[in-house]
Amino acid sequence: MYPSCHPVLLTSKNLRKQYKVCIEDVERNGKLQNRKRTIQIIAFLTPALVLVVTFVYVFLGWSGWLSLTDWKGLGGSAEFVGFKNYIKMFTNDRIFIKSLKNTLVLSGIFIGVTVPLGLLNAILLDLGLKARRLFRMIYLIPLSFSFVVSATMWLWMYAPESGAINSLLRIIGLGSLTQPWITSSSQSLLSLAIIYIWQFSGFATLVYYAGIASVPQQLLEAALVDGASTFRKYVSVVIPLQRPATITTVVLLLMYSLRVFDLVWLTTGGGPGYSSQILATYMWRVTFNRNQFAYGSAIGILMFFLSMAIIIPFLAIVRRRGEA
Amino acid sequence: MFRKLALVLVVLAMLIPAMNVVANDNELTVYHWWTAGGEKEAIDAVFDLYHTVYPGIALVENPTSGGGGGIMRAQIKTMIMAGNAPDTFQLTYGSGMLASFVDALEPIDDIWGNIPVPAKIKEMGTIDGHQYGIPLNIMRNNCLWYNKKLVDKIGIEMPLRSLEDFFAACEKAKAAGYAPYAIGAGAGQEFWYAHIFEQFLLAVPNGGPAYLEKLYSGEADPANDPAIREVLEAWKYLKESGYVNTDYGALTWDQAGDLLISDRAVFCQMGDWMKGHLTCAGWKPGVDFGYQPSPGTDGMFTLHLDCFVLPKGAPHPTAARKWLSLLGTKEAETAFCPIKGATPPRLDAFTDMYDEVSQDILAAFRNPNTIIVESAWAAPPEAWLGAYGSMLSGFFEHPNVDQGVKDFAETYSIVFE
Repeated sequence: MYPSCHPVLLTSKNLRKQYKVCIEDVERNGKLQNRKRTIQIIAFLTPALVLVVTFVYVFLGWSGWLSLTDWKGLGGSAEFVGFKNYIKMFTNDRIFIKSLKNTLVLSGIFIGVTVPLGLLNAILLDLGLKARRLFRMIYLIPLSFSFVVSATMWLWMYAPESGAINSLLRIIGLGSLTQPWITSSSQSLLSLAIIYIWQFSGFATLVYYAGIASVPQQLLEAALVDGASTFRKYVSVVIPLQRPATITTVVLLLMYSLRVFDLVWLTTGGGPGYSSQILATYMWRVTFNRNQFAYGSAIGILMFFLSMAIIIPFLAIVRRRGEA
Repeated sequence: MFRKLALVLVVLAMLIPAMNVVANDNELTVYHWWTAGGEKEAIDAVFDLYHTVYPGIALVENPTSGGGGGIMRAQIKTMIMAGNAPDTFQLTYGSGMLASFVDALEPIDDIWGNIPVPAKIKEMGTIDGHQYGIPLNIMRNNCLWYNKKLVDKIGIEMPLRSLEDFFAACEKAKAAGYAPYAIGAGAGQEFWYAHIFEQFLLAVPNGGPAYLEKLYSGEADPANDPAIREVLEAWKYLKESGYVNTDYGALTWDQAGDLLISDRAVFCQMGDWMKGHLTCAGWKPGVDFGYQPSPGTDGMFTLHLDCFVLPKGAPHPTAARKWLSLLGTKEAETAFCPIKGATPPRLDAFTDMYDEVSQDILAAFRNPNTIIVESAWAAPPEAWLGAYGSMLSGFFEHPNVDQGVKDFAETYSIVFE
């Protein structure tokens, strides 16, 4: 901005005086620029900040307060009842306990299968198979579907009589293996987990594929020089370096599985009985069906703390190790 | 300069109330859940009528489908609580449902006036001595639909007067290789179990309209009332005898109707909206399909109605009151009901445009000897359908009567908590 101010070019006394003036000018302008820039940053951040604070933190706080009342919505008064709603959840509501168990079991199956499957898919892609791009696309297509589309599609496929899965089993002579799928209380949760896994294994594959691609080449070459087989290369070099990818995948998938609503709502509605009722669908029923807005808020707050219990250790690990 | 500015501000301040009055007269925001074929055209016909009568009022409709109105009701609750009530919205007309919303509604006794309906209908919408909704159409719930060709082929003699007759007919249908009784309560539609339960409860020896009313008002003792056990035992028999289509937990109500249309099932118990589904498939009443009151419910007419209400804080109350006044007329009912396949609540409504099934339903409704019974959609608190949908779906899959009675009683305490 001030090329003529370069000290090498300033030899005479007069010029040095000019240089001093020039430096003062630069400093003054720099401060002005910094102030201007700070104002610009604040101006750009403020609208987003106001929206996030209003619609996330204020309403979160409001829900937290509601959960400590007996408010029933529409025109009703709200009396402070302390932790009564939280105590009721764990002592006097077997449907809540069932929903909590279902949520945790569903998340466990979902994560337990999706993460290794994603890693396996990523390794297969990394092995340099033919038509790699095609496979990558195939893995990713389910992720592009909206959950409403996936739910409707799987509902058709799971239909015990006319559904694609049982029909296919009958056609290939394996009629004895046909299942009631989502219509059975013993299979509904597993059937839902299959939909989750189908939808999200492409995401896990993508994260792991990027993770594998970022393994330093010299480590792989060193393994090759040491005579490591392909299997050994992956087991001893590639997979141990996938810790950041694993943490990211597990946390993001867990966050989703704890708050999922649409897939369950549109396929089983939480049934048969309460066999696939999860926290999010139960919260909706309690709040909007039974008009127990305070109790529904308490369930929502509990879901928030469950998510926090996952995200905070994750952030701590990332911060400590400088990994992302 | 300042004087001029002050003058302009004073004039503007004087204009603001006047502008509000203009806005009140010029717009009407309506929320409803009629989005499917037939019902959308029906409400559009009423909108057209409103435009004709009040051409200066712009009508803004917000159709929200899903869950038999459950999704729209949830939306409306959040809007009302946020102080953003619409001008008017659709609601199931019945004592329980209206009571769930009454704190947020304005009484409209003056608009109700003297709409000629049976006393029971007026009573259904009266909360603490006031009217809150203008009914537009009736839906009969206790209907049994059947595939006429299959019934004739199998040799089942219709009508079926009792549950014993019904089970005997199911046995014949099963022996002939058909699914006797089609149920579609899957895909989040578990509330149909509560609907079917009601049909059986009216027909069992210790059930009937009086017990149903007691049950829905929260005064029953389900753990000890014999009627509950009788229904659960009948369901156990129905299920374990193999009378129900095996995919009942995966189908929706209309897909259950499709089992009749494709000659795979013989009977289906569903409200009179099933007629529209069957006729849309090209079926003709009396030729392809038949209808009768649910077995054991002769002389009874279980129903719920749709109405529109005036919420507190409606931004355009004048336009909303005009809308509600219009809905109470014969003309509005005539514009709406034939297209939707429903029945008009007014006793003096025109009748000649209805088909034979609707004529039959209309005749039963207007018969002074008919016992009008509020259905599960109207009488109990809003939580009933969802809570009992879940509970009864669990029972229907594994029918254990003792456990079922316990679960029924537990759910009862939750609904009336």
